[in-house]
Amino acid sequence: MTNWLLGAFAFVGNRTVSGLQGMGRAWGLFLGATASIRNVDVWLPHLLPQMARVGVASVPIALFIATFTGIVMSLQASYTLTGAIPVYFVGTLVGKTMILELGPVLTALTLAGRVGANISAELGTMRVTEQVDALETLAYDPLAYLVVPRVFAAVFMFPIVVLLAIGIGIASGWFTALQLLDMSSPEFVKGLRLFFEPWDVWFAVIKSVSFGAVVTGVGCYFGLQTERGAEGVGRSATRTVVVASMLILCLDAFWATVLL
Amino acid sequence: MERRREALVGLVVMLGVAVGVVGTIWLQGGLRRDMRELRAASQNVGQLVAGAAVRFRGVSVGHVDAVNVAPDGEAVLVHLSVEPDLVLPADAAVLLAPESMFGDWQAEILSRADFELFSFLDYPEEGVLPAAALPDFSRLTATADQIARRLTTISERFEVAFTEETALNLKNAIDNIGAVSDGLSEIITQQAARFEDLSEGVNASAAELGAAARQARLSFERVDSIIANTQVEGMLGDAGATMSNLRELTESMNASLGDLRSAAQRADTTFARLDELLAAAESGDGSLGRLLGDPTLAEGATEAVQELRALLADIQENPRRYLSFSIF
Amino acid sequence: MSIYLTEVRKAFGPKEVLKGFSMSIEDGETAAIVGPSGIGKSVLLKHVVGLLRPDAGSVVVDGVSVPELDRKGLHRLRRRIGYVFQFAALFDSMSIAENVGMGLRRIPGWDRRRIEDRVEDCLSLVELAGMGDRYPAELSGGQRKRAGLARAIAPEPKFLLYDEPTTGLDPVTTSAIDRLILRMRDELGVTGLVVTHDMTSAFRVADRITLLHDGRARFSGTPAEVKAASDPVLKGFVEGDPDLYYRDGWRREGMHAGGQDHGA
Repeated sequence: MTNWLLGAFAFVGNRTVSGLQGMGRAWGLFLGATASIRNVDVWLPHLLPQMARVGVASVPIALFIATFTGIVMSLQASYTLTGAIPVYFVGTLVGKTMILELGPVLTALTLAGRVGANISAELGTMRVTEQVDALETLAYDPLAYLVVPRVFAAVFMFPIVVLLAIGIGIASGWFTALQLLDMSSPEFVKGLRLFFEPWDVWFAVIKSVSFGAVVTGVGCYFGLQTERGAEGVGRSATRTVVVASMLILCLDAFWATVLL
Repeated sequence: MERRREALVGLVVMLGVAVGVVGTIWLQGGLRRDMRELRAASQNVGQLVAGAAVRFRGVSVGHVDAVNVAPDGEAVLVHLSVEPDLVLPADAAVLLAPESMFGDWQAEILSRADFELFSFLDYPEEGVLPAAALPDFSRLTATADQIARRLTTISERFEVAFTEETALNLKNAIDNIGAVSDGLSEIITQQAARFEDLSEGVNASAAELGAAARQARLSFERVDSIIANTQVEGMLGDAGATMSNLRELTESMNASLGDLRSAAQRADTTFARLDELLAAAESGDGSLGRLLGDPTLAEGATEAVQELRALLADIQENPRRYLSFSIF
Repeated sequence: MSIYLTEVRKAFGPKEVLKGFSMSIEDGETAAIVGPSGIGKSVLLKHVVGLLRPDAGSVVVDGVSVPELDRKGLHRLRRRIGYVFQFAALFDSMSIAENVGMGLRRIPGWDRRRIEDRVEDCLSLVELAGMGDRYPAELSGGQRKRAGLARAIAPEPKFLLYDEPTTGLDPVTTSAIDRLILRMRDELGVTGLVVTHDMTSAFRVADRITLLHDGRARFSGTPAEVKAASDPVLKGFVEGDPDLYYRDGWRREGMHAGGQDHGA
């Protein structure tokens, strides 16, 4: 009995300590990366390639998801809004949800898998094959060389990808409304404009900036923490996706509380 | 290779920014052209807020920029942005009214001559349009209630002589008014029921209207009992005015107005006049006896009631013509 | 231009890898640290270049105490140190030429032409001339190792640290690498530190050989002294005789350097 209790306490204590350690390391990474921003000559040349990798390469998958989200939103909205509620509310629902929630969050969750896991695996492989150490020995700051351009690229490109996704999502919802729901364009647009605020777009942009930082930051963190070969690389990638997704949803709730 | 990548990143960035900027502008309702600034002054503005639509002959021609109290505190200044090439009537005035039963308010630019009944505020400053705010339904019912209460007090306070015939005619007329207002409130209730979960407020106000009408009828019945065994005499000066108001109400309902809102506006004005009249009577101007004793009053009332009844029938037949509620 | 390690201690969690290791490498000398895999040789090497900090003891390179350096100081020091990684640690995303040029691009005043010339020189030095456009994945293990060596020597370091330079190579490539190490010492006057478990190679390249055993320097001497020594542990290791090596009750269990020693 005492043993069991001791074990339970030890488990909680252990988890607490390792959790705090992880947070401390993450904070350390954050501070280090922040300090590394001044090494502009190291990270700037890598910004554009990373923007291409993080942003441009993510556009197809983001648009694919947005397209189907728009279609489904439109259909489900028309299914839900029956009777007394005017049909143009389909436009309102599609527009509002795409801009405020699904555009940023679904894209970010997808990119947590695509970009976060990719970064984590790449940096993890570099870590276990000593390429990170090699950078150090060649007098490069690995944080400036690896972390800063990736995070910056995501911070710049996530909003872009999200805006495109929102546009496509609304367009596909619109198309669906016209083709499958017998709505007219003026009706859909009326609904779309009904409750639209320019602030909504800013909200989406702010959210995506934070999501970009989180996805790449978490990817870099777990990537650089990788230990023990190929298995470790896999584990880092998995952890990245899980933790980044969780943080995205937490941040989502946070922004909704703070900004709306 | 490097150039291609740069170009690709640039393209995606520009596309994204374009979607964001153009989309925002488009969703906001298009780029705002150079708008013409108008100002209007009103006693109060009801629920009007910045951003509300400005309409002219039913067409949206701009929006409300700002609403603020005038420096002297005696009026509210409404700043309007309207299309620059809009030609306004010479006696332009602004009517602030609900756009729909549940939605936002709007500012409607109209010719003052067509709507003499409203008390537009003339602001002592060049270029400020006179404006008036329309009472909404709750205010209408409140007025009706006020009238009913006044009637009760008056009927209690004055014991006036009536001829039996006049009294009977009047009683019929009053009954009929009661019936009409019952019918009206019934229609509103029916319409409101269609939007029941969204429109408890309407139900309530319709019910209030009905209750007010019933109350009015109750007090009329009391008048009725008073006059049953009393002699009636006296003449009336203001009867003509009352009659013309009542007729105006029915005419305007019949003729030009396409929706309940306008009818309600007229009703409100009529109520207001009636109220004034009763208040004057109560304050001892002594005209009530004459008012009630005038046989033309009863005749006029009957006539008006017939017209009202015709209107009511039309409303029942084509409710859409009068009650174009748009919830949003 | 010398390296002094004094009473260096390092533990990873509960595992003590170094328990007071001391050795010194004089200017222009090439020393070898030998010992079985996973005993902490790479850990030792990483202390010299400041990738790891000792829990206790001092690491002095070229007159400066490495653990006390800040990032800037470390970078300054590392420009004078070339590090040859066990598996070359070439950057996968870059061509061989870009890899070799990496360190050069950090040197102020070097323009593109000068870097290209130097890269070409280094590649011919390791007999990879003309392979600059290839990517690490297209090279064999031996070629990769040589490319790693070229990258380390490109900025003309005063110190070269070799982490298992010959492990996993065929005998011919091994001796080619050994010859390169000797050329570095003889032609460029580089101070070298080779970590290896390949005794043949150690005998060939080292002026002095130190056996790392149980976290300490068990024996240190010239190749001749090593051959002549009677210490059973040293003898056991040199001759590859486990019975002799493990005789004094010391067990390898628990002596892995943990995740940090990737070379092990």
